[in-house]
Amino acid sequence: MSETEKVNIVPCSGIGKSFGSVSRLAAYYITEDDRPADTTLVPLALLVLGDKDTNNTVLSNPSITLDGCKLQCAKKMIGECGGQIAQDLVVLDVYRDHRDLKPAGIAVLNEAGEKLARALADVVDLIIDQTLGITREEKNA
Amino acid sequence: MTEYLETTVDKFIFKVATDRLFTPEGLWVKNEDSLVRIGVTDFFQQRNGDIAFVNLQPVGKMLELNDEVASIETIKVNLSLSSPVTGKILNINQKAVTKPEIVNQDPYGEGWLCELSVNNWAEESKKLLTPEQYFIKMKKDAEEEVKKNE
Repeated sequence: MSETEKVNIVPCSGIGKSFGSVSRLAAYYITEDDRPADTTLVPLALLVLGDKDTNNTVLSNPSITLDGCKLQCAKKMIGECGGQIAQDLVVLDVYRDHRDLKPAGIAVLNEAGEKLARALADVVDLIIDQTLGITREEKNA
Repeated sequence: MTEYLETTVDKFIFKVATDRLFTPEGLWVKNEDSLVRIGVTDFFQQRNGDIAFVNLQPVGKMLELNDEVASIETIKVNLSLSSPVTGKILNINQKAVTKPEIVNQDPYGEGWLCELSVNNWAEESKKLLTPEQYFIKMKKDAEEEVKKNE
């Protein structure tokens, strides 16, 4: 294990776009189901509002940003706060590897959108291992 | 050095390159020594969102006016682009296929789509819009789009 104990997961906060919803669903998969002990969900809106606790969280641990579009607000905001970015991901790039999973819907994603979120969460899972220095053997033990 | 006409609509800034002609749908057409280069406008790329995939017709393909020259899938829509000229495809921009974001980032430059040899340019170019004409149309479309979303 490295000295880093947790990784921040910072999804897009954009409302009204399917790709943003995919980033948030992936963040829930990761922080609630897959890796709750290794991750902290960071709401971008609190960072924008200058919430001190959230800012301290960002400064304490590396972040993986999950942006819905190429404006990459999550990545920019972590940079603004002086946080360390372990990896910045954009949903569109993951979609390019899964062309059959075109997301649709906003409040409720279609099945393809849910599967795309799952694919994104799987990518993040590997990055969390790398960031925390967890080997495959340790993970399988 | 390309110069631009520029306007701000709501929070968006749109540019129109002044050294080429345009279709009302948002393709630009630039003729250099009988080689016509085609791409999409800044307004087109901003209106349709981040581009996921660009599909181009193969080199050597003969196109009639209005034949599909490219198809683009963005996060919002799937679009078929009609050729604004008759001609043969001589070059395609592989970078636009492998890194479609280049079309969003630099629509008038690195994000060009393909180049055609043309033989009816004098006639067909008369049907295209000048930068000033396209600028007026684009501004009207952008303002309507903003109103629609209010």
